[in-house]
Parts: sequence; structure tokens; C-alpha cells
Amino acid sequence: MITESGGVKMAKETLAGEYQEILNNEKEMFMTGNEVVAWAALAAEADFMYGYPITPQNEIMYYWAKLAPAFGRGFLQTEDEISAGFTMLGGALVGKKTFSATAGPGNILMQESISMAEMMRLPGVWIIQQRGGPSTATVIYSQQEFRLTTTGGNGEGMRLVYSTSSHQELFESTIKAFNNAWKYRFPTFVLGDGYQAKMREPVVLFNPKLRNWEIIAAEPIAMKSGVPYLERDPVHLRNTFNIEEELYDILSGHLADFRRMKQEVVEWDEGGSEKADLLVVAHGIVGRAAISAVKTVNNQGLRVKYFRPITVRPFPGEALRKIVSEEPELKILVAESAYGQLLSVVKEELYGLANTIESYLKPGLGITAEEIEEILVRLGKKEG
Amino acid sequence: MLDNGLVKIIIAGEGGQGVQTIGELLAEAAYISGKKALYIPNFGVEQRGGVSIAFVQISKGEIGAPKFQKADLLVVLSQRSVERTRDYLKQGTIYLYDESNIQAPLIDDQAVGVHGYDTVAPEAFAKMVGTKEGEAITPPKQKDLTILGIPAAKVAKEQLTPRVFNIIILGALVSVSKVLEAEKIKEALERKLGEKFKLHPELRKLNFEALESGIHMGLDALTKEE
Repeated sequence: MITESGGVKMAKETLAGEYQEILNNEKEMFMTGNEVVAWAALAAEADFMYGYPITPQNEIMYYWAKLAPAFGRGFLQTEDEISAGFTMLGGALVGKKTFSATAGPGNILMQESISMAEMMRLPGVWIIQQRGGPSTATVIYSQQEFRLTTTGGNGEGMRLVYSTSSHQELFESTIKAFNNAWKYRFPTFVLGDGYQAKMREPVVLFNPKLRNWEIIAAEPIAMKSGVPYLERDPVHLRNTFNIEEELYDILSGHLADFRRMKQEVVEWDEGGSEKADLLVVAHGIVGRAAISAVKTVNNQGLRVKYFRPITVRPFPGEALRKIVSEEPELKILVAESAYGQLLSVVKEELYGLANTIESYLKPGLGITAEEIEEILVRLGKKEG
Repeated sequence: MLDNGLVKIIIAGEGGQGVQTIGELLAEAAYISGKKALYIPNFGVEQRGGVSIAFVQISKGEIGAPKFQKADLLVVLSQRSVERTRDYLKQGTIYLYDESNIQAPLIDDQAVGVHGYDTVAPEAFAKMVGTKEGEAITPPKQKDLTILGIPAAKVAKEQLTPRVFNIIILGALVSVSKVLEAEKIKEALERKLGEKFKLHPELRKLNFEALESGIHMGLDALTKEE
């Protein structure tokens, strides 16, 4: 055990004081999304990050490793993403709030541990900064990890996934992710992308406790104190079953929990014209382009609404269906930087309704507000 | 330029010209001035052809998507960047370019590891900034553009140091964009390079001189254009 010298201890306390003051004073900062995530993890009282470098999330590790030691919190670079995922679960078992950040091929490698977390109901937060795919593809940007993040693994996709569209939302959703992961014990994700990771814009950092946000504490899941059977119930976490019915019973319970959680956590953003001919559905950074396009075309006299799911799993399907079913003539446009991953969920949620669904699909490519404006104008004209 | 509430700026140049530093400082200065600002680098493992692009938006109101299709102001610092940025032109784009007959430093495709996004302080690129004579940039011939040439690389080489080339460009951007005060750029420089300035006060002087020099170049170019 290495003991800290008084000097080191003092320096840490000074730094911790400085960082805490930034959060307590609701300081607005101009920073990258990766930096925002590290601050949010600090604000959410995360204990430990396990990670393996991959662009475009590297700076999350960098900033966390810079901020965390002042508060006695830790960082470990593991030998790969498989290990990072499982060490996270180990940390969660002994009562630490653990997280990781990854992208692309790293997201694939983490699916095994995420599936295990899903089966054993172990909490954890994964930050995904989507890059181009399949495989190594680009280090830049995409929305192609939507399906992998929401429903990857050999299970039922019992996961909570936030898709953010601004640094403010990234900060707040990351804090919510930690809280809800430890509250509901389903694997929880913040689905960002390379653009959000690398872009700089203002964000107001804050201490959630001073805003009366409850911070859910982590407790040991295994290795609890007391003698099993005598002083407390034994902890029996399983990811292996001998009988089909046994697995089915357990999963039925988990699925019921997941449906209950849905009612409490589901979030979305909707707006635009009160009465509308068109509805744009987009998530994440493309949602942001869509909103900006909707504002522009509505100023030019079109009648367009937007719907941006913030939790993309569980999906706010009822809210979307309500908007669409009220207007039988409403035409829908789904835009995403992937080839139909959000689109298939929208279609599933709107099954049985006769509204036309158009799509603008650009796998691995950014979508600007101007592009969406152009399509809306074209679709709007056909309508009239 | 802020009349319509939003200015879209693209800065394009070779990997070592400090393009991302210009974008970052510009956005930071806008943010310090109380405006909304968004900056995103065009980053990759290695950009094809080594052209580095910075996207900056400065606005009174909320800013939408981080990237955009047409630029109000396009800053072009090498011949390859002229080609690479052609699609971002629209009617009325202000086209600011370096007119010196000094070769921009080309990073060839072998230069793996020069990431567009982590372009740091200009002095880190001392050896990469152009000093050799060569062909000047040929701007596009379109009549619907406002084309402004400034002798940034030449002045940097002859009167200051090639290292502050990008700070001269930043100065010219202050004059041309008319959305920022020079003082705010200085503040952004202090935030970014404050530690280095403390150790080497002559760097502050050099950078501020370069900024002033760029501001004058920008004003001269505007006068000539009129």
C-alpha cells in the first residue's frame, strides 16, 4: 500500500475543492462533449471508470483520470473492452458506481458483459460515442450503434438508453443514467456520437444535489455484511439455468420490471406547429438538426411538428402514436445517420396506422439542418 | 454579419497550419463575448489529402446541427483547400485566403498520427509552417463571391515568425467577420496559452502583434474590395 505524503493529500484537497466549486456555482463552461461526460460522472458520484481507448471517446478517460483522483475515485485501463465490461460488473458487485465509455468495435466487445449484467440485473453505465461502422470504418461519427446499444446481446434488450442532442442534455442524461442504473438495475447507456464527443459548446455544470436531484447510492450486491441464511438472505446471482421454465420465470419477472420502469423513465421532446401536415422523427444530434429545420420551414409557412425520443430504449412509442393517430393525413419523415435503425422502431410503434412514412437515411454521414429543410419543403409542397 | 442572427464560418488548410486552433479560439472568443458558439473539427485518423477543416457557428440564438452545407465566411489557407471547400460556397460567401507566394506545408499521406482535432498551440508546429516560396493560392473565379486576399504567410515569415501565421489569420477574421472584438480574442488566447505566456512573456507579445497585424490586413483587404 502506498501512503500519500501530506503534500499530495493537500494538493488533492485543493483540487477537489476547486472542482466542487465549479459544480456548486452552476458554472457555465465552453467544452467538448467528452469533457462534459467526465464532469457529469463526477457530479453523479461515480466511483470508478474502467476503459480501453477508442476514438472518439478517448478524452472521457483522459478527463476522468484527471478529475477523479482528487476525490479518491479511480480509473483503470484494462487490456481490452471485454475486460473493461466485466471489471465494471465486479465493481458494481462490491457496491461501486462503475462506468465505461466506448464506441464501434469496442461496443461490440462489451456486449458480452452487458448481456451478463442484463441477466444478473447488475447496474452499470456505458457511454457510447458512436463512430462509423461496420467494423473499424471511421473514427468520426454515425448513428449506427442504435440497434447494438438498444437491443444487442443474446437477450431481450432490457436496457435504458438515452440519446442526447446537446451538451446540456449530455450532462443531465449522464447523471440520470447513473441514478436509474442503480435504481432499476438494468444496463444503462448514454448514446452520443463523435460529433457530440468532439464539438465545443456552452454547458452549465451543476451539483445535482443542490438542485434537489436525488443521487441514488450504490450498495454492495454481493459480499454484503452478515452471515448468509443466519443474519440475512443469501445473495444468489445467476446467469446459468438448467431448466427452460426456470429461465422463463426469471425473465418474465425482469420483463415486468422493465415495463414498469418504462412508465417512470421514458422521455421525449416534441414541438413545432400546433396543427401539422408533416412530422419529423429523429434522435440525438440529427434530432437537433431536425428541430432547427422545422423552425426555419415553419417560419416560411409550412406546418411541421417534430418528435425527438430522448430515451430510445424504452422508446416513447405511446407519445409518438398519440401524435400520429390524431392526424390521419400527417406524413412522417424519419431522418438518421444510419440505414433504418430508428426507422424500424418507428414503424413498429406505428403499426396499423395508415400514415405515409418517408425516410432520409445516411449511414455514417452527418445530416445538416439544410438537408432536412429541403426535404420538408419538397414533402410540404406535394401535400399542398 | 450577425444581422440574420447566425454566422457560419469554415476554416480550411493543411494539417500543420493551425486551422483547428483558429476555429477553437474564434468560438471561445465568441463565447466569452456572450454569444452562442459551436465549434467542431473535421477529424479523422488521417484526413485524405491532409486538408483540415474547422466549422464554427456564432449566433445570437440557439445553434442547430454542428455542421452545415454553405458558409457565410470561408477561410482558405492552401491550394488543396480551395478544391476541398468548393461545395461550401454560396452566393455572397466572403472568401478570405492567403495570397502570399509561400508554399503551404503539405502533410503527405504517410504522416499518420497527425490528427486534425488535436492541433495545439501554433508554436508546436514551428517546423511545419510554410516558409518556402511557391505558387500562391488561386481563389475561385466566381463573380458572386467577395474575395479577400491577405499576405499572411509573407508577413509572418518576414516580419514576425511563421509560427504565428494562424494568429494573423485570426486577426483578419476579426476585421472581416465583424462579429468579434479583438480584446475577446486576446482573452481566449490568454485562456488557451496563459500558462505558456507566463513562462515566456515574449510569446504573448508575438501573438498579440500577429493579431494586430492580421486585423490591419483584414481592414486593408476590405478597403481594396470596396
